[in-house]
Amino acid sequence: MKRRTFLMSAFAGTAALALGVNLYSPEFSLPEDSEAKDYRLLFSVLLPVILDGALPDVTTHKLAAQNRTLDAIKQSIAVLPDEQQTELFELLDMLENRLGLLVLTSSMTPLLMRSPAELTDMLETWRHSYFALLQTAYLGLRELIMASFYACPEHWNRLHYAKPELFKS
Amino acid sequence: MAIIDPIVNGLNSGWLHTDASQLQANQTFEADVVIVGTGAGGGVAAEILTQAGLSVIMIEAGPLKSSSDFNMEERVAYPNLYQQAAAMKTADKAIGIFQGRAVGGSTTVNWTTSIRTPTEALAFWAQHKSVAGLNRESLDPWFEKMEQRLNIHEWNYEPNRNNAALKQGCINLGWDYTVIKRNVAGCWNTGYCGMGCPVNAKQSMLVTTIPAALDKGAQLISRAKVMKIEHHNGQVFALKAQALDTHLRPTDVELLFKAKHYILSAGAIHTPVLLMRSQVPDPYQLLGKRTFLHPTLLSGGVFADAINGHSGAPQSIYSDEFVWKNTADGELGYKLEVPPVHPILIASKTLGYGASHAELMSQFNQLQVTIALIRDGYHPDSQGGEVHLTPKGFNLDYPLTDAFWRAARRAFASMAELQFAAGALKVLPISDGMPYLSSWKEVKESIANMVLAPLRTVVASAHVMGGCPFGEDEKLSMVDSYGQSHYLANLSVMDGSVFPTSLGANPQLSIYGITARNATKLAEKLTAGLT
Repeated sequence: MKRRTFLMSAFAGTAALALGVNLYSPEFSLPEDSEAKDYRLLFSVLLPVILDGALPDVTTHKLAAQNRTLDAIKQSIAVLPDEQQTELFELLDMLENRLGLLVLTSSMTPLLMRSPAELTDMLETWRHSYFALLQTAYLGLRELIMASFYACPEHWNRLHYAKPELFKS
Repeated sequence: MAIIDPIVNGLNSGWLHTDASQLQANQTFEADVVIVGTGAGGGVAAEILTQAGLSVIMIEAGPLKSSSDFNMEERVAYPNLYQQAAAMKTADKAIGIFQGRAVGGSTTVNWTTSIRTPTEALAFWAQHKSVAGLNRESLDPWFEKMEQRLNIHEWNYEPNRNNAALKQGCINLGWDYTVIKRNVAGCWNTGYCGMGCPVNAKQSMLVTTIPAALDKGAQLISRAKVMKIEHHNGQVFALKAQALDTHLRPTDVELLFKAKHYILSAGAIHTPVLLMRSQVPDPYQLLGKRTFLHPTLLSGGVFADAINGHSGAPQSIYSDEFVWKNTADGELGYKLEVPPVHPILIASKTLGYGASHAELMSQFNQLQVTIALIRDGYHPDSQGGEVHLTPKGFNLDYPLTDAFWRAARRAFASMAELQFAAGALKVLPISDGMPYLSSWKEVKESIANMVLAPLRTVVASAHVMGGCPFGEDEKLSMVDSYGQSHYLANLSVMDGSVFPTSLGANPQLSIYGITARNATKLAEKLTAGLT
């Protein structure tokens, strides 16, 4: 049923330009039910591939940036409208499920056990697919991760960018 | 230096504001006029009707945020101030749509470009869409009035480097260009208009007409979503609304609004959606159809020097070289502008991932971005999109037609030609599969053969129009040329949804001017007791 719903709804995961959101703002404290599942492990597998070249080179800094991005992804998802959240969760559930993986990637091997090259192949297949479903899966994950990573001021060093400090005393 | 926040001061002075997220019990509100939405239409209407001595209630689904909240970060601005946290998309996900959702509507987050409704659009509406009385002579006084009200003037400072490249390219190619008029007063030239003006220089509805209305006793209800228009025998007798919590999710609290007259200013998409959900008479099935977006394409140019597109007035130059070139209903035209360049916006609206994307982002400060806004709604093969109700809300089905893709190909070529003429080292048309192009000669060949397709070619929109057209012919329109409903005697529509085509220009000043005209007429009728 879940798979069928997902296939029928052409999934919007596309999420998000929305992002990161201010972690210290009480306005965006997460609703209680969002604690249920955050797909952290799944995203931690995808981040190094999608953010290759953007993440810091030094291992400890890289790990910190990944963890910060994982937090930001959770916040990004929390501010999405219900319909988009539902579609995104359907995709993420499928990526954690062997049958779903088979449908989306023609392989039951869990993403955690795939090499970066295999994950890149998967993303490239989706990206250049003739099926809108796979293309939107690629675009949805890409946009969510990019938006969440670049939402964080601590990731702007490589851009040589900082917001103005208008009110510095 | 502390910035004075006029909203905080106004609230402290006793403005009648109710944040519906804080309500614990159902409540009924009454006034002479209830306005749904506080953007360009609702804001202007509220001020005019209040000045006429009428009691007014403004209802806004978004939150009341002000300069104290505007910290110039996308991660805060998008969820606070934009529909669907700036992640709204058409049904097939091929077009990303930026639309405001906060007190002030899209005027709180737009880039301040103020353009009078093009003469060509007005002529097309008169000739083909039965719009009456809207022409250059009749409307210009209303535009002048609103330009004075909102301090709309030509931007007389140096354009930032992003806009300067657009200007230089036009000069070198002999193309038309115009210095943009902006609704700002005391602008700090920082470049963060899209995240809410942090210094209250932008003369949005948030800091102009809405405070003026509140000063005169109008009421503002924020975080309240109008769900249904209750109507019977050609009259509206109430609006039902749902209070929203701080996450903008519905609470159990219901609100009822009663008035002599009701104005819908919820914007294109949400005004038609409310009318459709309320099953108002629509014998010719017009609601939600012909929704227009100015679907927009992007081209990145890498320059040797710093462009710093994040800094300075985001839009100060545009080119109309190609907008009306093939006549109004000929091949689709396009307007050339530039957007501000901010991290999430650019990271999301570019291509690929991994090393290639990281390399593009490392050139963030050298990146000049040009955009082409396609003028939709005139050509027979450009009928816009259609809004459909869904169990939880709506979706917008917007097919990208062959006529659109032909225009897109021409637009990519024009943008690349312009960027090279302005000195770009290389140009990247933002459509998957395209490489960096290093010369105009290479552009001509590559763009002629490039694959253009939904989801592959990045298409975005910041202008939503149509879906509840005005005009005198009931077969073509839902409201008359003054915004008065053809079917419900005490209902008007005053927002971008009334436009029967796209404008071929950024819409805010069109909405201000036409609403000023129509709300003034309505105020005369209501104060004379004629409705």
